Amino acid sequence: MIWFLRGLRRGVVTTRYPAHADPWAEALPTPPSFDPQKLTFELAERLAAACPAGALRRDGPDLVLDLAGCTGCGRCCEVGGEAVAASGSFELATHDRGSLLKRIPIGADRD
Amino acid sequence: MTEQQQVEAELHERAVALFRRSLHIRTFDSGSCAVCESEIRLLSSPYYDLHRLGFFFTPAPRHADLLLVSGVAVRAADHALRKTFDAMPEPRIVVAVGACALGSVFTEDELVHGSVDAVLPVDVYVPGCPPSPLALLHGLLVAVGRLEEKVQAFRFDLRERNPA
Repeated sequence: MIWFLRGLRRGVVTTRYPAHADPWAEALPTPPSFDPQKLTFELAERLAAACPAGALRRDGPDLVLDLAGCTGCGRCCEVGGEAVAASGSFELATHDRGSLLKRIPIGADRD
Repeated sequence: MTEQQQVEAELHERAVALFRRSLHIRTFDSGSCAVCESEIRLLSSPYYDLHRLGFFFTPAPRHADLLLVSGVAVRAADHALRKTFDAMPEPRIVVAVGACALGSVFTEDELVHGSVDAVLPVDVYVPGCPPSPLALLHGLLVAVGRLEEKVQAFRFDLRERNPA
């Protein structure tokens, strides 16, 4: 009986997901987000060189982020300064492998 | 899309809908570093408690509806992986878990296929190294059609948050 009451006092400790994401979910190691206006070609090259997983590469006017390869190590955030930060997005499952390739326009918005 | 493909797609969708609140999962490690397994194991912990969603792990592929494959698909596991897949009753779902299984870490060589895609028809890709238990839950719910995919809408632009 005493264990039952103790359990009640603690309340529900199970995650509410998928009804709500957990408050700490944003702190998970997640792929980076970029500020296209602060990106330069030079910085893009340095980001691509810094990525140990090879998930970042420069392709013409775009920086290509392969979410499938990103390990969430955060080295691009160290190199990129204000232009790069962790996205906090973990809900990346998809039926379409191609949608995991993200193109980030370098310099300015084109859309 | 031809008429036959349309019918097949519709049939698959209706069959998968049967799994929505009762899904049995078989895990397969095709040469991963065991961190994906560690995260998969956490799903059955009291905190994540995937039983509340009607998902269960099963030790036998013959009882499984969904195959959760992690790792780079080493060639040494070919036979076991093929037998596991063949033993599963139709309809069956294959979910590739982690960066290795998605084919972005190791390239194809004489030891590994490099991605699960090369061996099995993959339905859902769950990226991450490792994917957190929440990411795995999202992947499973996408696989049975209970949650929408979100990644298409994500732009990874710092100035706007990815829509939740």
